[in-house]
Amino acid sequence: MPPLFIRLRIMAYSHFGYGQRFAVQLGRNWVVLFLVILVVLFSFTGRGFFSPKTLNNILLTSSPALLLAAGETFVIITGGIDLSVGFVRGLISVISAIIMRDLYARGYSPSFCIPLGIVVGLALGLLPGLINGILVARFRVPPFIATLGMYGVANGFALRFSKGFPITFLPPEVGQIGNGFFAYFLPGRGLSFFARHADIVEGEMRNLIGIVPYAIVVVAVLLLIFAFILSRTQFGQHVYAIGGNIDAARRAGIPVERDLIRVYMISSFFAALSGVMYTLIFSIGTHTQFSASLELFAIAAVVIGGASLMGGKGSIGGTTLGVLVLALLEIGFLMSGILPFYRYIAVGTILIFAVVIDQTFPEIIYE
Amino acid sequence: MKRFVVFLLVSVLVVGLMSGVTLAQGKKPKIAWCPAIDDPFYYMIGKGIADKCKELGLELFVAEYPKAWGPEVQVPILEAVAARGDIDVIITGPTSKEALIAPLKRIHDSGIEIITVDTYIGDGDYSKPSEYSFPLTFIGTDNFQGGVEVAHHLAEMIGKKGKVFIETTNPDVSSVVERVEGFKKGMSEYPDIEIVGVEYNLDVQEKAQQQVAAALQANPDIVGIFGTNLYSAQGAYQAVVNAGLTGAVKIASWDATEDLIKALKEGKVDLVLAQKPYEIGTLAVEAAYQYFVEGKEVPKRMVPGFFFFTRDNVNDPESQKYIYRAD
Amino acid sequence: MVLSEKGRERLYLLGKSWIFLFLLGEAVIFSFIGTGFFSAKNFQNILVASTTILLLAAGETFVIITGGIDLSVGFVMGLFCVISAKIIVSLQALGFSPVVSLVVSIAGTLLLGLLPGLLNGVLVAKLRVPPFIATFGMYGIAYGLSEILCNNVPIAGLPSLVGFIGNGYLLYYLPGRGFTWFAPPEGLGRGEVRALLALFPNVFLFAILVVLIFAFILSRTQFGQHVYAIGGNIDAARRAGIPVERDLIRVYMISSFFAALSGVMYTLRFVTGRADAGSARMLDSVVAVVIGGASLYGGTGNMIGSIIGTLVIGVLETGMVNLGLPTYNKYVYVGVILVLAVLIDQFFPEMVRKGE
Repeated sequence: MPPLFIRLRIMAYSHFGYGQRFAVQLGRNWVVLFLVILVVLFSFTGRGFFSPKTLNNILLTSSPALLLAAGETFVIITGGIDLSVGFVRGLISVISAIIMRDLYARGYSPSFCIPLGIVVGLALGLLPGLINGILVARFRVPPFIATLGMYGVANGFALRFSKGFPITFLPPEVGQIGNGFFAYFLPGRGLSFFARHADIVEGEMRNLIGIVPYAIVVVAVLLLIFAFILSRTQFGQHVYAIGGNIDAARRAGIPVERDLIRVYMISSFFAALSGVMYTLIFSIGTHTQFSASLELFAIAAVVIGGASLMGGKGSIGGTTLGVLVLALLEIGFLMSGILPFYRYIAVGTILIFAVVIDQTFPEIIYE
Repeated sequence: MKRFVVFLLVSVLVVGLMSGVTLAQGKKPKIAWCPAIDDPFYYMIGKGIADKCKELGLELFVAEYPKAWGPEVQVPILEAVAARGDIDVIITGPTSKEALIAPLKRIHDSGIEIITVDTYIGDGDYSKPSEYSFPLTFIGTDNFQGGVEVAHHLAEMIGKKGKVFIETTNPDVSSVVERVEGFKKGMSEYPDIEIVGVEYNLDVQEKAQQQVAAALQANPDIVGIFGTNLYSAQGAYQAVVNAGLTGAVKIASWDATEDLIKALKEGKVDLVLAQKPYEIGTLAVEAAYQYFVEGKEVPKRMVPGFFFFTRDNVNDPESQKYIYRAD
Repeated sequence: MVLSEKGRERLYLLGKSWIFLFLLGEAVIFSFIGTGFFSAKNFQNILVASTTILLLAAGETFVIITGGIDLSVGFVMGLFCVISAKIIVSLQALGFSPVVSLVVSIAGTLLLGLLPGLLNGVLVAKLRVPPFIATFGMYGIAYGLSEILCNNVPIAGLPSLVGFIGNGYLLYYLPGRGFTWFAPPEGLGRGEVRALLALFPNVFLFAILVVLIFAFILSRTQFGQHVYAIGGNIDAARRAGIPVERDLIRVYMISSFFAALSGVMYTLRFVTGRADAGSARMLDSVVAVVIGGASLYGGTGNMIGSIIGTLVIGVLETGMVNLGLPTYNKYVYVGVILVLAVLIDQFFPEMVRKGE
């Protein structure tokens, strides 16, 4: 790997005045500022943008990317990259769907099929990560290549298991779990928990507001858990250390190989989870619609959120912001009637912008 | 080492030239099926082709189902299949009206007949002499008429007034373009119905979902949506479900995948147009058989009909065979 | 491992040339178990079908040797495919002849094709943006631009001259009638068409010519040496007086030049301009370069290896279609070959060194 640029401007920073320090803080947190600006902008240009339904949409749209990006964060902090996540997601979506479908067809109850499908899917989802990790850590295969190879393998197997057709005939409860909300609010009727108001009429449905979808809760909980792991456990410290300087980390006694393998397993776990959630939300298992762009966007989100591809920097919080920015752009553009083409240009430009800013403003390595 | 390599190369050359090209003897044609893309609709056509070939005792070669739609991927496959040397007729769905004319013509000139299904080259009229009239026949649903009838059905369902939205795939694929135009023509007969927009999702379901969600936000009073193919429709109904508007927005979809049929039963979708891909495949093989074995002229255009699924007939036993199934 | 001098040498050679042997092996196996695989027609089809990856891989080779990567090539290709088609159509509408339109279009496209590379290069070399990000950003920009230019509709209406060149061969041979240049003999009957032998597809010929020119540049010019040096150790290269920034910018310009050329080839072959022309082949070009022996860390690799890597993929794909194998195997195989390639490249030099 090319040598790291460690900017030792800590010295310079301590001589900054208040004005300059504020500018630096602003620069480092530019993503939040940008997010706010975007929201304000789109409220004007998009009809009906500023509403809970839009928020819902954004959260729902960004969940898959969020999950993939969360796993990717770990990998990128170690200075690596995981290109296989998109197809691992598809593969596990297909596998968990097949399990649920076949068990249900044999007469087992949904409360057995569904959890089993989820658990097996997640468990199998660790395998690609294990393989990636071993290739990268033991065999020194560059992560780009190892995960690119796995991308192909996962794609091939997903195709094989699904034979090209989406997997359907899942237990009907699947959709309820996937699309359910904790509570529903209807103006004039108040709250109803776990299910829609029983006697709701067609015309009223438009005004129904779902509060806190299950899916979001799961995602939020997981993000919090892994953010904690990353920032407050020893393992998390190891991850940053490996990304900072892998040889120094080794010399310091960190079990680099073991931790790297774990990191890639985390990444493919998130990909598997994303796949299982897809199956739950859409009630089908499919892989055909996933392409390389999803993982590239996940990676872009991680970088916008402050990580560096050289490793050593990044956080789950930053990644979440990055994903929100991208999702916001997408929905906002759609609602403002701007052609999707401009969105690609915007994302590309912002990405480059993000990196340039990160490099121009002084870095504080140790707070 | 050098001598061994030379020996190896020479023996390869000799054996290769000997095994060479076997010309197709006899009247029974060997058929190659080169699908346009990996989706349930094309798999069903493939099933129709396979079953009919079995019945008539014809040899069938199946090429790969491409993951992406486009000439870049399709043409090398077509040419690789043609280069085998033992194929008499290729059944395919051209992925572009323009780009496939030259490659298919080349293949035709080398002695292989072409049958196009689902999509066509040029303007689809092979009866008038032109640079694209060489295929034996075009077999496909009358997409325009289907679009018109969908419009009528949907208009009835929404009480002949309100705003509707079209979710479609590409602006340059003959099949969906005709569906959209048919739909617009059908809807033009209802002065109180307004089409508020058309979005292109390039055959990606998640995009369809996002586009419909955004449309629902921008136009809260949309009462009807037409998804012009399976991915468009599936994405559309998901967006409506997520917005909690199931039942308030009526959805008409094209293509009867198991997913869409299930959605129909659950009330998430209100109309499903089933093409007859199995029949398309069967007709294609029959055409080849007639041309090669019986020496008969084949009509330049065959239009199998379509079938509408509504909640009233979705559970009828006779309707089941129109669903696109894996088995 | 205890080896004699001769043994070690042989093993080293095997390790270095394994990909070429693999290619031969592939071709041989498919020729035996396939139908009609071993024919001039089929092999030429493979060459033409590989043209896209070949050109993209050629450009990527330069970038990868410097330790970078160019993710924008797929959509830069699409962008210039659309641009070249648009120029032809516009000039034709203005009344220029097909020949003039085509020539101006090609020249113009190739010239404009240097711009994305210039941008990429400046971002990477001057602003120190990691290549992955810079070129990924360019990917998005190119995609957006190309869709805007053609409004998501492939560009049609190109003169048939385009297809004639794009799908034509240099030489035609008809048993009994002899050779003709550039075009098949007139008035052929159906049976004669089948016996016609076409040689040297125009598109591939042109592509390989350009590739070989740049292969020469890479291996025999000072600039080429610089490229390897930058990839080996960028700081050492700088200290040695190599104009690193200037050369890096040139490298990315070469990459986008090849992407633009690939776009032009697409237009010639398919007589249409499509924004998604290169999207299916994006990562395949990187795969080809790595299979061919380059390392993503930079400093190693060469054009011949990339050419062989391209052919390995091309033969595999065509072979699998020829055999009627289901698609999924291909992805698995390519993935496995890719990882194998890197492992072998890593282990062989080590094994040889250990023996010393």
